[in-house]
Amino acid sequence: MESIKSGFYQTFILDNNYQYFIRGIEITLLVTVFALVLGLVLGVLVAIIRSAHDQQPKNKRGIVLRVLNLLCKVYLTVIRGTPMMVQLLIMWFVVWASSRATDGNMVRCAVLSFGINSGAYVAEIVRSGIMSIDKGQMEAGRSLGLSYVKTMRFIIIPQAFKNVLPALGNELITLLKETSIVTVIGLKDLTKGAMIVVANTYQALIPYVAIAAIYLTMVMLLTWLLGIMERRLRKSDIR
Amino acid sequence: MIYVKDLSKTFGDNQVISHIDAHIKPGEKVVIVGPSGSGKSTFLRCLNLLEQPTSGTITFDGQEVTAPHGDINHIRQHMGMVFQHFNLFANLTVKKNIMLAPVQLKLMTKEQAEEEAMRLLRLVNLEDKADSYPVQLSGGQKQRIAIVRSLAMKPKVMLFDEPTSALDPEMVGEVLELMKKLADDGMTMVVVTHEMGFAREVATRVLFMDGGVIKEENTPEEFFSHPRDVRLQEFLSKVL
Ligand SMILES: Nc1ncnc2c1ncn2[C@@H]1O[C@H](COP(=O)(O)OP(=O)(O)OP(=O)(O)O)[C@@H](O)[C@H]1O
Ligand SMILES: [Mg+2]
Repeated sequence: MESIKSGFYQTFILDNNYQYFIRGIEITLLVTVFALVLGLVLGVLVAIIRSAHDQQPKNKRGIVLRVLNLLCKVYLTVIRGTPMMVQLLIMWFVVWASSRATDGNMVRCAVLSFGINSGAYVAEIVRSGIMSIDKGQMEAGRSLGLSYVKTMRFIIIPQAFKNVLPALGNELITLLKETSIVTVIGLKDLTKGAMIVVANTYQALIPYVAIAAIYLTMVMLLTWLLGIMERRLRKSDIR
Repeated sequence: MIYVKDLSKTFGDNQVISHIDAHIKPGEKVVIVGPSGSGKSTFLRCLNLLEQPTSGTITFDGQEVTAPHGDINHIRQHMGMVFQHFNLFANLTVKKNIMLAPVQLKLMTKEQAEEEAMRLLRLVNLEDKADSYPVQLSGGQKQRIAIVRSLAMKPKVMLFDEPTSALDPEMVGEVLELMKKLADDGMTMVVVTHEMGFAREVATRVLFMDGGVIKEENTPEEFFSHPRDVRLQEFLSKVL
């Protein structure tokens, strides 16, 4: 009992160690949220290009569309075919090689890496959502004179998004947990914070269990929020 | 109003439409009948380019629909289309289904579109469904709403592809009635249907399609009482 008490003291109170955890949560959330936004934007764009390409009859595919589709395919193959950690290492030690190791630089690098990585998975999720929508919806939109882009935006994407929300939620949860590997570039996220505390206090149990509990809490919160969103979007299914 | 010249359409090496010529005049109600797989839907869908014809030209209101870089979106605004499976936008309420295109294409303000939507819904006695979603409606209600959704664009011609084929029998009447009302109001219509009663009563001209060609066309009286083509005689003996 005594040892647990002193463990808590050393982990959180001593030298204001709790700040490592607070700051860590901030960094983790910061990277997750911005990477999510970037991933969604990239993912939806790639999904639209890929499905526009696949839905257009062969003779109507412009050269621009074909080039874009090829670029998207290369992007998906490379990103999904290599480990996240390797992508992050390349981004930081190669692309950012000449930058100083400030928090700001590292956060930007992490956001970009995770955003680009997440975008590839989001793209395939969203594309499967688009493909699952009955083609009559697109035909109805087009027959009214709406353009492909407008029909996508107002009819197809909202329905696709609703259908794949659970899968996107999983992707977000994976992203949140995966950000812990930013420790390899030295960014002081939640995991790195705990590692520093462990190194300073020579005890592992409480810091690591503590961050496990913090990650778990964040994931449960996210799950709850996603549940609310899903119920909202299901409005159009109520009979 | 619509001129079709030497229209052909192939899927792979399956020739579905072969060298069709047709002319649909303003105010006409053309009914197309024919056996399954004869190319009726494909023909109709070529008219507004939902299917890209393999060859031939289609002209609508002086504009060439089939022109390689024509503004098809603009042409489609004036050609309403009603589908067998309604295709109401599942993510939008009934009212928003009707308002979307006129508002997005800047033909009406939101207020005007809303007013128009309510007027159209009253026309089909469905104003109480304005805020319902499509899943909450019966087939007949969905199809009537799909029809007024097209009407909101004030089309010059309406294309119907088997509008009652997916309906339970007791709902067929309400949809046909609305179509008759449209016909009486002078709408130009091209209707693919298996409802021979409707063809007799409403059509100004009936076309028989078989194997991708128009085998026979005539006034409904002549068409049904004195069919000349052998295939048409066979077809009529089966469906009448
Ligand atoms: N997208 C497509 N790809 C390949 N073949 C098609 C396609 N659409 C139609 N076909 C073929 O074209 C032929 C004509 O089809 P179409 O739908 O025009 O017939 P229909 O007269 O409307 O028949 P039904 O009364 O059953 O609706 C059929 O053999 C069909 O298999
Ligand atoms: Mg058909």
